[in-house]
Amino acid sequence: MTEIFSTLFGQNDAQPPTGPAAMGFAPGKPPPPMPPNQAPVAAQIPAQHGDEGPTLRKPGAMNEPFYLLRELPVGNDLTGNTNLITHYNLEHAYNKFCGKKVKEKLSNFLPELPGMIDCPGAQDGSSLRSLIEKNPVCGNSFSPLTGALLTGFRLHTGPLPEQYRLMHIQPPKKKSKHKHRHHRPQDPLPPETPSDSDPKKKKKKRDDDPDRKKKKKDKKKKKNRHSPDHPGLPGSQTNSNSLR
Amino acid sequence: MAEKFDNLEEHLEKFVENIRQLGIIVSDFQPSSQTGLNQKLNFMITGLQDIEKCRQQLHDINVPLEVFEYIDQGRNPQLYTKECLERALAKNEQVKGKIDTLTKFKSLLISELGKVFPEEMAKYKAIHGDDPPS
Repeated sequence: MTEIFSTLFGQNDAQPPTGPAAMGFAPGKPPPPMPPNQAPVAAQIPAQHGDEGPTLRKPGAMNEPFYLLRELPVGNDLTGNTNLITHYNLEHAYNKFCGKKVKEKLSNFLPELPGMIDCPGAQDGSSLRSLIEKNPVCGNSFSPLTGALLTGFRLHTGPLPEQYRLMHIQPPKKKSKHKHRHHRPQDPLPPETPSDSDPKKKKKKRDDDPDRKKKKKDKKKKKNRHSPDHPGLPGSQTNSNSLR
Repeated sequence: MAEKFDNLEEHLEKFVENIRQLGIIVSDFQPSSQTGLNQKLNFMITGLQDIEKCRQQLHDINVPLEVFEYIDQGRNPQLYTKECLERALAKNEQVKGKIDTLTKFKSLLISELGKVFPEEMAKYKAIHGDDPPS
C-alpha cells in the first residue's frame, strides 16, 4: 500500500518533500532528477489502480511541480446544481401538494373510513408502529372458519357497552358553505348559478299556475255568458264539468 | 403500476365495508343475526386472503416509516409528501448556492494565483485545460 502511495507521488526515496512541495504546489523546488535510463514510475502504474480511488495525477504531469493533483470530477454527475424536482418530473406532485393547503387531519385523506381515525393510535393501541414493533403472533395463512370454530363467535344479545360503540361515530363534519350563505344575508349576492336560479323559476311557475287557471276560468265563463245556450252561473259550472 | 394499487384499494375498501357491517351487527346483537355474523366473519377472512394476494404484486414498494408516524398521530400522510418535497427543494437550493459560490471562488482563486504564480498556473492550465466556469 505504501509502495503504491509513494509511486503515485513520484517519491521512490524515503525522504518526504519539505516546504511548499509538501503542500502539493511547489514552485521553488523541482522534483528530484531521474536517472536517464529509468522511465517515470507513474507511467508503469497499471490503469486499474485508478479504480481504487480518484486518479491523483495524469501520467504526463509526472515531472510537473504539482503534487496531489487530482482529476477534475466528471461533469455529467447529477448534483444539487440541477433542479432535482424538475429532473425527476415531480413538478406535478410539487404543485399538487405545495401549491395549495393540504388538510391536516387523517379523516380528510380517508373520508370514507368509519370511526374516529383522527385520534392518536397510541391511545387505543391501534398504531401502525405497534404493528411493526410488536407484530401479532399468527400463522402464515388465513383459513375460513368451520362450523365448530364459529361456535366461538356466539354473542350475547343486546347493545354493546358505550365504550365499544365508538367505531360507528363519525367525527362532526363542517357545515357546508351553502348553509353559511343563508346565515349571512348581508353578504354580497353571488352570481346566479343554475342551481340557484332553478328553484326560483319553478316557484314562479307554481305561483303563476293558479293565476293562469283563474284567467282560463274567467275566459271560459265569459265565453259561456256570450254563448247562446248560457243558462247562468250554476249551469256554466255543470257545462265546464261536462267538458272535462 | 396504478392497477396494482387500484386492486389493493378495492380489496381494502371491501374489507373496511365488511368490517363496518360486522360492527353494526355486533353493536346490537340479536339471536337471528348469528347467521349473518358467521357469514361476515368468513367474508373477513376471504378479504384478508385477497389482501394477502396483493402483497406479491407490491413487494417492490417501499413505504417510509415516517409516514406511519403521521398516520398514528391522526395526520394526513400527504403532509409528509408535502414536507418532503419542500425539504428537498430547500436543500437543492442550498446545495446549488454552495456550488455556485465555490465555482466563483475557484475562478477567482485561479485568476489571482495566475497573477502571483503565472508560470505555475500556465502549467496547471496545461494539465487541466482552461476550466469552464460551470
